[in-house]
Amino acid sequence: MANLRIEHLHKRYGATAVLNDVNLKIEDGEFVVLVGPSGCGKSTLLRMIAGLDGASGGDIHIADKLVNTLAPADRGIAMVFQSYALYPHMNVRKNMTFGLKFTGVPPAERERRVTEAARMLRLDELLGRYPRDLSGGQRQRVAIGRAIVREPAVFLFDEPLSNLDAALRVSTRVEIANLHRMLKSTIVYVTHDQVEAMTLADRIVVMNKGCIEQVGRPLDLYYAPANLFVAGFIGSPAMNFFEAKVAGVEGACARVDGPGFRSFDLPATSLKMGDTLTVGVRPEHLARREDGSFTVEGVVELVERLGESSFAYVRRADDRLFVAEVRGRQTPTPGERVALAAANRDVHVFDSSGLRVSSPTNT
Amino acid sequence: MPESVSNITAQMPRAKLAGLLLFFLGPAVAIYTLFSIYPLVATMALSTYTSDPSGARSFVGLANFKTLLGDALWSKPFWNALGNNLIFFAVHMCVQNPVGIALAGLLSLPGLRLRGFYRTVMFLPTMLSVVIVGFSWNLILSPLWGVAAGALKAVGLGSLFAPWLGLESSALVTLSLISVWQFVGIPMMLIYAALLNIPDELIDAARVDGLGQFRIFFHIKLPLVLPTISLVSVLTFVANFNAFDLIYSVKGALAGPNFATDILGTFFYRTFFGNQLQLGNPTMGSAVATVMFFIILLGLCLYLFFVQRRIRRYAF
Repeated sequence: MANLRIEHLHKRYGATAVLNDVNLKIEDGEFVVLVGPSGCGKSTLLRMIAGLDGASGGDIHIADKLVNTLAPADRGIAMVFQSYALYPHMNVRKNMTFGLKFTGVPPAERERRVTEAARMLRLDELLGRYPRDLSGGQRQRVAIGRAIVREPAVFLFDEPLSNLDAALRVSTRVEIANLHRMLKSTIVYVTHDQVEAMTLADRIVVMNKGCIEQVGRPLDLYYAPANLFVAGFIGSPAMNFFEAKVAGVEGACARVDGPGFRSFDLPATSLKMGDTLTVGVRPEHLARREDGSFTVEGVVELVERLGESSFAYVRRADDRLFVAEVRGRQTPTPGERVALAAANRDVHVFDSSGLRVSSPTNT
Repeated sequence: MPESVSNITAQMPRAKLAGLLLFFLGPAVAIYTLFSIYPLVATMALSTYTSDPSGARSFVGLANFKTLLGDALWSKPFWNALGNNLIFFAVHMCVQNPVGIALAGLLSLPGLRLRGFYRTVMFLPTMLSVVIVGFSWNLILSPLWGVAAGALKAVGLGSLFAPWLGLESSALVTLSLISVWQFVGIPMMLIYAALLNIPDELIDAARVDGLGQFRIFFHIKLPLVLPTISLVSVLTFVANFNAFDLIYSVKGALAGPNFATDILGTFFYRTFFGNQLQLGNPTMGSAVATVMFFIILLGLCLYLFFVQRRIRRYAF
């Protein structure tokens, strides 16, 4: 069990910067998920924490110890790989004890740890089998078992569920969450799947182009994204964005106007007349209601029915499409003209540099 | 769903199926028969005949083999050649393949610079003509004008020099080592390719488990390339027992000094085609060739039954 501190971490391959001044503090026992599109540097960051890749600059501390120059095995970490990376020529038991042999763990202790991990992961019956005789889910559990027996300070997971089928992914996700509850260990988990991120994480780190965009609890990211990237990345279907402009400033209020929606007031800001803005609203926050400050109109073009809700693709007057998630039985029909509104707190306004400004107040 | 191939062929008229088989397999079977099976069978047939001085051939059954293995005039050089051939093979197995494995291991190290250069340089001798290799080494090791003596002297080891190719005690091993030098690139490349096939994540996992590069090689990489190593061993075995050209180009058909470098290939050559005062004897030569064929066949069978069946290939 340990905390993890990353300071001013850089990684360059030749002229291309893969990681740019990454700073992150992870508390003891925290489950942190690194999420972002492919190529954002999340796997590189994980590999650097593991010591598999060297840094071009910056420090990594594990349990308040500087580990920059330490070999992976000496950092007190264990890693679960995307392809599981089980040794194909060793049976399950040997796969799990192999590393311990080289770190000087006595045989009796090795046996105790394997028995313990096997019980926890329901691997007892599989200990004599070879990886080729195991299913994907079983291999995954062996890979996790191999990490557990190392009794690491920090667990590192590199997209561990991406090779599993959908049903198994859900059940393994639950298992990993249970495991974290039982072991109470620090976990850093890389995924590109935002559902995994939202369900597993204590805190999510959203990365993009080698930088951290936002760090926060899952619902904070969902309800208060710090910038356009996070707003668009978290949530499915993605947030709708509307172009807007500051049409007038009146005391502490700025009037926001744009094509396709009714103008609304934004509280005290440093906005100036004519500033370009982006207004973001999640599909699930748009509804047929009267009290919203943000109302957008259009003609329903296509409806996707999911049962508990429907996605309506609506074309606005300025010919742009947006998506609204309509709950219940009042499914709109294609060709219907609708006015949809969102509550104040669900309307996100971003300035021209993509940073969140604020939400509108009641008008 | 597309129909499976076996279903389609089962429904086909027999004549059409036969035509299809002929079309796809015919050319390969024809070429293989003409250039491999026919010569083999013809050689075996010829080994059961003998020819009198007039050139007329008569069937003698297995008499040629009896002569070859029983008559001291024939059996002594035969056993000598077979023994030398085993030494030739042993040197390759003990030097060429371990060195090839080691070079492949070094080549696959992460962070190695000039990888392509080393790979090419070490493979270069393999692409040279054996005649050139034999001739060059003959000159290099020559006690009269070779560079070997001078080179050893320059580093203070001049007293170690001996005319290795000319001594009965060292000629065979020297020739074997020349052959090793030339062909070490083949095991290196095959094993290097197998090593590249091992996924990086497996090596990463071993690093997280606390293994250094040396242990990773012995505990992870080596067991995973065992199938390739056994394949290399078989190739070495077949190539060594068919070897002829290097000995011939360095020492001539007499495989001197005093037959110290005589292997089955050169022995066969002298028997079949004749050399200097020895008259060519195609029927005895065929008998030697047949025995060589069975020696290699035996070796391969031993390999298949005792090694191949126990080796497991790993899919990553």
